[in-house]
Amino acid sequence: MISIKGLRQGLLILFSDAENATWATQLDELKVKLEQSGSFFQNARVAFDVRGLSLSLDDLQIAKTLLESYRVNLWAIASQNDKTIANTRRMNLATDPNNEEMPSLVTDDIGTLKENPFAATAEGSDGIFLQRLVRSGQTLRHPGHIVIIGDVHPGAELIAGSDIIVWGKLQGAAHAGSTGNDKAIVCALDLAPSILRIGNTTRRVPADKKRKYPKPEMAKIVNQEMNIIEWTP
Amino acid sequence: MDSVVITITSGKGGVGKTTTTANIGTALALLGKKVVIADADIGLRNLDIVLGLENRIVYDSVDFIEGRCKLRQALIRDKRAGELYLLPAAQTRDKTAIKPQQMVDMINELRDEFHYILIDSPAGIEQGFQTAIAPADRVIVIINPEVSSVRDADRVIGLVEAHQKGPAMLIVNRIDSARVKKKDMLSVEDITEILSSQVIGIVPEDEEILSSTNRGQPVVLNSKGSAAQAYRDIARRIVGESVPLTMPSTGSFWQKLFGRA
Repeated sequence: MISIKGLRQGLLILFSDAENATWATQLDELKVKLEQSGSFFQNARVAFDVRGLSLSLDDLQIAKTLLESYRVNLWAIASQNDKTIANTRRMNLATDPNNEEMPSLVTDDIGTLKENPFAATAEGSDGIFLQRLVRSGQTLRHPGHIVIIGDVHPGAELIAGSDIIVWGKLQGAAHAGSTGNDKAIVCALDLAPSILRIGNTTRRVPADKKRKYPKPEMAKIVNQEMNIIEWTP
Repeated sequence: MDSVVITITSGKGGVGKTTTTANIGTALALLGKKVVIADADIGLRNLDIVLGLENRIVYDSVDFIEGRCKLRQALIRDKRAGELYLLPAAQTRDKTAIKPQQMVDMINELRDEFHYILIDSPAGIEQGFQTAIAPADRVIVIINPEVSSVRDADRVIGLVEAHQKGPAMLIVNRIDSARVKKKDMLSVEDITEILSSQVIGIVPEDEEILSSTNRGQPVVLNSKGSAAQAYRDIARRIVGESVPLTMPSTGSFWQKLFGRA
């Protein structure tokens, strides 16, 4: 019933308010997703959209505690139900995840990026497209693809549910297929990440990787091993 | 008055924030501007020493925040450079003594009376840094031509952008052209290529800085040395003059032979 979207301010988890969708079953479902997705959610900021669900303070507290046990930070809950909105306020959480005014200045996720990334849809999977550079200490996290025109500096981090494509130099850490998708790929004009992960496979790129005249390359998993091949269209 | 608040920061410690702040502030005052330089490095204050005003501190910014004095009473005038004032930090407290909003309010009080307010940020990216950049209109990041300094600057520039204070401007400090030529040191071109930010000053390594810092006399007051000239150029760029960015020569054969002209 629940689904996950990427927002400018971070991740958004959409709940259903259909009659057969109880809060408890949807939280169980969320727990399974948190369990399966491993590192994707770690240290992430998420917002909920609970639509018309009428939720008590306890209901919200249970959800927040569940997320905290997976080191996920809940910062906003959007709702169309007055009681839920009132309880959200009582918990000191924001009620409009699209609002520019964030409760605190967070510096390590997509919410702080000034440019407005726009969502794209390729083969049914969402993605974000950004024309900017990603600096040390910044993390870009998206459940779909991440496409960047610009460099990704050492100390920066890209975490995508699907593919990562960098039209530039990729030097930070990159984790494609972070929800366990081994078919994801990582491409860059200069593929020199500090750590490269696809699905559950990790590879450190040797130091001699820094070349004067780099060629575009693509990393993908073949027979459970990470392969780096020339990236040719 | 149209005032500009500039915070000078770096991430990494020891790259020359305080010396740079003191010299740019003094150079701006020598250009006829009314200038305050505020020390935001509470607990590890140094700006007063570099300016040679240590013995004149009666009240500091924390005294003002906690209501023990008027802001005017905390300002110390440096008579050597026209309308130059120091707002010292407290030495007996720590970075939590001033909250970002209190800093903004305090600096706003000065905006009516001064052209430029320079804030010397503490090293690091924690609360002291956040407080120091809170009132800033512009942020200058000081870099030494070495990889660790550039890496820290990258992080700081990202944070400056995240706080909606970007784009940060860079000053490359302590560059030695002879060592750059030998490829022992990163060049200004290397640094701008990595950081993709605007450079507003290149300050050479200069022995004079150490002695002038110890004496409490900013080099821009009376020196014709290359670092002093670089700081004056930066001040002129800040007030809007167009001064070409040149790579200063340091430790060249002729300079060594004839001393500093």
